[in-house]
Parts: sequence; C-alpha cells; structure tokens
Amino acid sequence: MSDIVMTDGTTPRRSLEPAIFRTLGLAFTVFIVAYILIPIVVTLVMSFNDAAMIRFPINDWSLKWYRDFFGSPQWTDALMNSIVIAVGTAVISTTSGILAAWAFERFHFPFKDLWYLLIMLPLFMPGVVLGLGVAIAFGGLQIGGYSIYGSRELVMVAHSLWAMPLVFMLMEATFRTIDYRVIEASYDLGARPARTFFEIVIPMVSTGIISSALFAFVISLNEFAMALFLTDRDTQTLPVLMWLSLRSAGTPRLAVASVILALAVFACLTLIMIWYVRQLRKVAR
Amino acid sequence: MKQLAGDAALDLESVRRTFGTVVAVDDISLAVARGEFVTLLGPSGSGKTSTLRLIGGFEELDAGAIRINGERIDHLPPYQRDTATIFQSGALFPHKTVAENVSYGLRMRKFPKSEMEERVRRYLDIVRLKGFEDRYPGQLSGGQKQRVALARSLVVRPAILLFDEPLSALDLSLRLQLRAEIKRLHDELAFSAIYVTHDQSEAMAMSTRVAVMNRGRIEQIDSPERVFHEPANEFVYTFIGESCCLPVRFGSGAATDKLGQPIDLSLEMKPSDGDWRLYIRPSRMKLAGEATAFANRLTAKVQFIEFLGDVYRYHLKAGALEMFSDHPGPTGHNVGDMIDIGWKTGDMQAFR
Amino acid sequence: MTVTAVKESPSYELNRRKAIRRKQLTPWLLMLPALVIVFIFFGIPTLYMLRMSFNLHIGQRLYVPGFTFEHYVNLFANPLFTNAIWTTVQLSLLSSLCTVLIGYGFAVLVWLKPAKWRLLFIGLALCPLLISEIAIIFGWWMFFPKNGLLSYALLSSGLITDKISLMYTEFAAFVGLVYVTLPYCFFILLSIFDGIDKRMLEASADLGAPPFMSFREVLLPLTRSGLLVAFSQSFIWTIGTYATPSALGPDTLWTMGYLIQEQMLGKHNWPMASAFSMVLVVGVACAMALTRSLMSKRTSFHV
Repeated sequence: MSDIVMTDGTTPRRSLEPAIFRTLGLAFTVFIVAYILIPIVVTLVMSFNDAAMIRFPINDWSLKWYRDFFGSPQWTDALMNSIVIAVGTAVISTTSGILAAWAFERFHFPFKDLWYLLIMLPLFMPGVVLGLGVAIAFGGLQIGGYSIYGSRELVMVAHSLWAMPLVFMLMEATFRTIDYRVIEASYDLGARPARTFFEIVIPMVSTGIISSALFAFVISLNEFAMALFLTDRDTQTLPVLMWLSLRSAGTPRLAVASVILALAVFACLTLIMIWYVRQLRKVAR
Repeated sequence: MKQLAGDAALDLESVRRTFGTVVAVDDISLAVARGEFVTLLGPSGSGKTSTLRLIGGFEELDAGAIRINGERIDHLPPYQRDTATIFQSGALFPHKTVAENVSYGLRMRKFPKSEMEERVRRYLDIVRLKGFEDRYPGQLSGGQKQRVALARSLVVRPAILLFDEPLSALDLSLRLQLRAEIKRLHDELAFSAIYVTHDQSEAMAMSTRVAVMNRGRIEQIDSPERVFHEPANEFVYTFIGESCCLPVRFGSGAATDKLGQPIDLSLEMKPSDGDWRLYIRPSRMKLAGEATAFANRLTAKVQFIEFLGDVYRYHLKAGALEMFSDHPGPTGHNVGDMIDIGWKTGDMQAFR
Repeated sequence: MTVTAVKESPSYELNRRKAIRRKQLTPWLLMLPALVIVFIFFGIPTLYMLRMSFNLHIGQRLYVPGFTFEHYVNLFANPLFTNAIWTTVQLSLLSSLCTVLIGYGFAVLVWLKPAKWRLLFIGLALCPLLISEIAIIFGWWMFFPKNGLLSYALLSSGLITDKISLMYTEFAAFVGLVYVTLPYCFFILLSIFDGIDKRMLEASADLGAPPFMSFREVLLPLTRSGLLVAFSQSFIWTIGTYATPSALGPDTLWTMGYLIQEQMLGKHNWPMASAFSMVLVVGVACAMALTRSLMSKRTSFHV
C-alpha cells in the first residue's frame, strides 16, 4: 500500500525507489554534474596558469594571461566588437520582436499561423547557412560609399535572425498572460492605444522584456558561425578570434578569453537579478 | 459639451450584436435619465455583459445607435467616449500607486497638476481610502482594490458609469459592505450608471430601475418593487425570488399532474381547461393549521425536512408535483405524513 | 469631440471609416520591422543562394553567372562529399539519441527532486547555454589531449601507466556535441514533465507496479511527444554545426557545415557553398516536416 502524500507534493520515496534506484540515481547525478562542470572548471583553472603551454599539472599560478589579454589591442578590440554587436542585436531583435508579438496578440489578420511560421523560420536554420546567405547577398553592397560587408551593423542584423524569433516567441507567450481588462481600463479612462502600450503594457511585461533582451544579448555575444563569414580583421568578434587562434596559439590566453566572455554574460545576469528583486520588493505585498 | 435639456444620459436605440449565428444583444432599446441607476439583471448568456461592453466601446455594434447626452458615440473607440468602467477584478494598474491609478483618467484629460492632486485626495476620501495614495495594488485587499477602482472611475465624472459585475469576485460580507458603499456613493454624488449583475438581491438593493434580461432581450424594465410584485412574464417571475412551480392539467372538472394522476387541489377560481403552470412563492404557502384559513388548498406528503437556521424547509410531494415551503418552527409533522398547504389567490400566478 | 446640437454629426461616417482602416493597418505596421528582418535578410539571401547554386565556378573568380547542375551532381557523386553527408547524418542521429537519453534522465531527476535542489540543477543546466560554443570546445580541448586533465587525473590516480589522448577522436566530437545540445533537450523535457501530475506514478505504484513498469506504462507514453521534439531539435541543430566536430574530432570527420565553410572561405567557391547550403536547408525542412507529421499522428490517437 502506498504512503501518504506529503504536503509539499513530493512523492514519498519508499514506494518508488528501492535502494538500487537510489544509488543509480546518485551515480547519474554525479555524472551529470561532472559532465557539465568539466569544461567550465578546466577553463577557469587554466586561465590562472602561469606557463605558456596548456598542460596539466599546473605548477605556477598567476594573473599573467589576464594582463596579457587586456594588454593586447587585438583581443580587447575583439571583446569590444562582441559587446557592441551584442547590444545592437539585443536592441534590434527586442524592438522588432515585441512589436510583432503585440500585433499577434491584439489584432486579427488573415493567415496568422502562416505568418507565425515565417517569422520563426530563421531560428531553425543553421548559422552557417544564414551567415553564408547574408554574406553572399549583401557582401558586395555599398551604401553611401561604405561597404557594408564587414560592418558591425550587418552582423547585428544577421544575429537578429536568430534573436528576433526567440524574443517574438517569448513575448507572445508573455503577452498572453496579461489581464486584458487592465488594457481596457486604460482605454476606458481615455488613453490612446500607443500611450497604453508604453505606459501600461510595457511596464507590466518588463521582466519578460528584460529576459528576452538578455537572451538576445547572449546569443549574439556567443555566436560564431555567422560572425566568421561576416566580419573582417577590424570587426571580428571574440569567438571568431578564439576560433582562428585555436589551432595556432594554444595558450592560456584562450582560457582567459573564455572566462571573460562568460563573465560578461554573468555580469548581465546579475544586474538583471538585482533589478528584478528590487521590482518585486516595490510592487508586491 | 452642449446638450439638450431633455437628453438622456444614455440612450440605446435598437442595439444589436451578433457573434456568428448567436444573437447576443437582440434589438435593445433603453434610456437612462441623468442620475438614474439602472441594473441589467439576468443569467449568464442573457446579453447583459455584451450590452455593457457595447456602451463602453469594447465591442462593435452590428445595428442600432448609442447616444450619450444626445450625441451619437457608437463609432468612437473607448478612449473617446465619456464613460468609465468598473471591472470585476478592479483591473488596477499593478505597477502604479493608488494615487497614480486614480489620477490616470484626469491625466488623459489634461487636468492641471494641482487640481488633479486635490481631486484625487477628495475622491480617495469619499471611498474611505484616505492615506492610501502611495500604496501599490499588490498591497491591497480585494475590497480595497475595488474602492480604488471606484475612485478611479468616479474622479473623472463621466456622463455614465459602467459597472461590470464588480462584486461577484468578493466574499459575502465584503459584497454586502461594498454594495451599501456604492448605494451611498450614488445617493451622495447622483451619478448615472448601468450596473450588470446576476445577483438579484444586489439589483434590488441598489437600483432606480431593474432591467431583467434573457437571451439578448429585455423582459421587463421597472422599479425593483414592480419587478418583484408585478412580473411581466413567467421568466421574470421565476428569475426574481424563489418560487415553486406546479404543472397541472385541468380537464372535465378534475386536476391531474403530468402523469395523469389526480391531485387533491381546490382552487378559489377554477382556470379553464388545459395545461397550466401554477407558481407560488414558498414564503406565501402556509402549512398545517394555518393552511385552513385559505381558499386554495393542496394536500401533500412530506419528503424531507431541511433545517436552514431561520426556518424549517418542508419538501413536499403530491403525485408528480414537487414543492417546498418554509416554516419558522417545526410543525410536528414527520417524513411521510400528509400535510395541508394553503395560499391566497393573490399570491398565485398562473401561466399557460 | 465635436460640439453639435444635431443628433448625428456629419463626420460620423468619416470617423467610422477611419477607425476601421486604422484597425486593419496597425498590425502590419507593428510587424514591419520583424518582417523586414525575415524577408530581406533571410528571404532574399535564401533565394540568392538558390540562384547562386546554379552558377558556374571558374578558376579564381567567386562565381560566373550561368546555369548548371554540376555542383549538385558533384555533391552526390563525389565520394568525399557523400561521405560527409553520411557522416553528418550518422553523427547527428547518434549524438541526438544520446543527448535525449541523458536529458531525459536528468529531467526525471530534477522533476522528482524537491524545490531547493531544482533551482540548483536548473542553474547548472543553464551554464552550457550561456557559454559560447568556442569556449566549450576549448574547455574539452584542455581535457582530452595527452597533457590534458583527463590524462593527468587518470595517471595520478594510478588507473593508467602512460599518458593518454582522446583528442581528435570521434568520441571527443561526440562528447562535445552532446554537451552543447543537452540543455535544450533538458528544458524541453522538463517542461513536459512539469505538466504531468506526479501522483500518477504514485497511483501506479499503489496498484502494485514496480518502478520500471511505472516508467514504461505511465511515464513513457505521456512524454513521447516531448521526446520526439527534443530529438528533432537536437538533430536539426547538430546537422548544421561544424565547429565542435571539426575541432574535437579527427581531421577526417567532415560535416556538411564544415564543407560549406570550406567552400566559402577556403575555396572561394560560392556556387558550391550555396549548393551545399540548399541541400542542408532541404534536410532541415524535411526533418521538421517529419517531426510535425509524427506529432500529429500521436495526437490523433487521443481524440
């Protein structure tokens, strides 16, 4: 006979997991944790290596390679390019994604399913294909004397091919959760649709917007295949530089670059967590 | 806004709204005079909410016209209509303070800041929420939220207030409390209102006039007393208050039920032959000893007895006829006993 | 608003028409930026590539306008290329299978655990998503070779006597691929699990079923659609990637993605690169269509 259900909803262990499953479960957990952590820990550890070669065991520890990274214009420029492009991608994709999601949520127009599919389509295409297409189609284009090939703006748009559908999907789901009577209340009191959108809707979905923007930022920051096709020596992003250096310069500098890239992401994440907690404290009970 | 002296605050003229093949609002005409509190009362699906939303501008008419203070508004979006709605859940702006919520409508009407602050404070005082200016909706109780919603809509002094079942999400004691509040506010401020509810006691307590709706049409629109005592048809009668229905067939001098069994029924005035539905309110049916005083009588068997606190409810059966009646104390009868029931002719309604 | 004593203002009809027109136009204006991105930066390039794949390639020029099927023929005739296609598909199928299995187990684990553990594991599962593919490659790059962590750990614990290298092996490529697609599978499956009432398992146990039976009879059927979606997602992603297999795997491990990159940047053969891309796109589309049809077959059973 089964046991009583616990008040916190967990299934009581005894009836489902005899000892053998317990140990298997534990072993599997250890395996998963180790599997996920290995490359992360290895990179982190290696970044503090003092030697010029990548080998274990590590005998000397120092911040030498960090200093090397920040002292090298090629690498810091690449970092800057990555960040600028990522911010640009976040702006472009969040704006276009939100507006499109709002159109889907509040308006009626024919063939909605088809348009949904079309907007989501680029997300399923491999980065190589998207990058190749953009490079071939727009590579030779010149606008006002400036060649757009190798420009950061082009990479921003290319990254938005992945980021915008993601934002769109997330925001569409978010919009579906808002109480539309609040929107009606705003109209009812005299606010036009545009005013309602910016003053009422956007603040209500602010966490959704921030999360989507963060996703867009991370996707762009870490993206490599498209950037490889679309950047040149001046605008190359950090992942591209890392890839090009992989076969030739296998030094801890690459480990440092990995760590810095991850830090950029975690820094954003932390800022957002702080903002989120402050929001909660202000508005909730 | 210039308006003619005789203009109603709200005028619905043959308003019609269909959803596909379903007619939600079927040719409704209604006029609300200035200062009147009109309730649309009916079961779900009766079209009362659709009518309200048509007035507010949240849905579009298929036919007819809507006028506010004489001017046609049915082509205007909600933000250009002089209406303010109080929603069921309050629909407060969660990220704005109480004061910001209440001043929202005034901001949209470009009120100067000082006048806005003064008005907001005054109306928060009126709904008894003085000092709540800087709280957020997430920090308020259900009743407080509805008060803020009231203040938010009252403060812009619209031509007509629209209430969309604002009390149905609250528990009973809160509902009664706020019901009295709204009535008080109406007495004090004399606003014009359309109130939608399915709760008849709410409708009766607050309204100047009640419009009983069914399947998109208004069955009767009258003062609460007249709707209760002089129902226009069977639907209104059965919807308002409790009643017992006795389907009886009269033929060749005898009364029989649906299955043809004879009923021991004596009536003061015999109706013509045919199938009738007799209605009596259970409070008007007297039992046992008291029954003998009345001209209309029936004998039935006690099925079961419910103790409802204030009264004892006797569930009775005569043939296929089922009825119940309330008695302040036990009559001494038990389940299975035959008991006399009597009532006045004036308390009975008969429909074919 | 107009101030008038007349019952109907003359601008009534005009305002009405304006309102209707605005209502029809607004959604398209809102969608414009997104549609520009999709049609101009995805639609046009795709059509461009399609056209390009039929162009000629002569000598050092990127491409020569013309019309020929030679690139497609080459693709399917040249054993080098057909091998690459076969390798890609094989590798993707295997790694997707593995990813789904591990992801399933991981999801079950997290689903059954109490709340405080859940947050920790979700945070853990997010890590590979937040880290660049290159950084991941590089992480394994320091683990597998002779002087890497694996060799060092095994050596110092006495399990082996000589330095070992698993670098540039199919296994390493495999490990890398599974690592990158694992989070996606995990989150897809976890969301499916969250939609299932845990008490069903308990009811099954209550009725006398041993754990494995509960799994097979209750959990598996309910999560079948999730498995399909996770597998399909993983497969679609892995057939398009090339960085991980080419960096961690042997030099003979050529994937479609790698060939595209090589034709574009190495051989400067735009038509060939485009032809490969088209084949890859068709492959992805087929995989998506197949998934969709299998999904709808599933749901039709539950009417």
